[in-house]
Amino acid sequence: MTEPVTASVRIAAPPEVVFPYFTDPALAVKWIAKAAYLDARPGGTLAIDVRGNPARGEYVVVDPPHRVVFTWGIEGREDLPPGSSTVEVVLRADGDESVVTLTHRDLPSEDQRRSHWEGWAEFLGLLAEQAGSSPA
Amino acid sequence: MPTGPDTASPAGTDVVLRALADPHRREIMRLIQDSELPAGQIAAHFTLTQQAVSQHLTVLKRAGLLEERREGTRRLYRFQPASLEPVREMLDEFWPDALQRLKRVVERDHPRRGAKGS
Repeated sequence: MTEPVTASVRIAAPPEVVFPYFTDPALAVKWIAKAAYLDARPGGTLAIDVRGNPARGEYVVVDPPHRVVFTWGIEGREDLPPGSSTVEVVLRADGDESVVTLTHRDLPSEDQRRSHWEGWAEFLGLLAEQAGSSPA
Repeated sequence: MPTGPDTASPAGTDVVLRALADPHRREIMRLIQDSELPAGQIAAHFTLTQQAVSQHLTVLKRAGLLEERREGTRRLYRFQPASLEPVREMLDEFWPDALQRLKRVVERDHPRRGAKGS
């Protein structure tokens, strides 16, 4: 497996205030995507659009206000199907602020990318051709 | 992001897309997917002129999709899988950007009460 993608941020509000932004669709649409469908309980669906890519997953752990874990994948992507990777968000209180750390694990390894590259490249190439990209 | 002098700079998605938007170039990628091949052997698969094949190889190389190695007078090509990393790239930018937006939104929605200036 590849190294996880990690990101973190310090927010001037306690975890109790920040946590619902990961679970309440009305709050999630303010920052993560234009459209979000979230059913924040273990086994519940998570569906958002990431730059036009339909990201889909399921909540695994919902432990307010400190930890939320959900699976993640992109509909139609053989190398990252829904449910294939995992995002863990940890909210740590620091005084009256929060430190939010996000870790995205189990992204496709190089071997997996390699084994899927052909279909993906074919697909991308055909798309680009149809979109009228001039051959470089 | 620093890159070595001789490594193809991380090509933008559009460069990769344009490189792949050609059936001959996709065929070349299939040929070198599992084995490194010399230019001549790649050209032999096509009815194109050697020059045309060489141009296709250049486009693919610039997009970072293949790696060129010289062995004497021969040039050998092989697939560069790291170039096809749109998922990773997408997420490498997506999560940090998203968390910065989260910070702005939360701090706007919940201004500190009684904050005494800066």
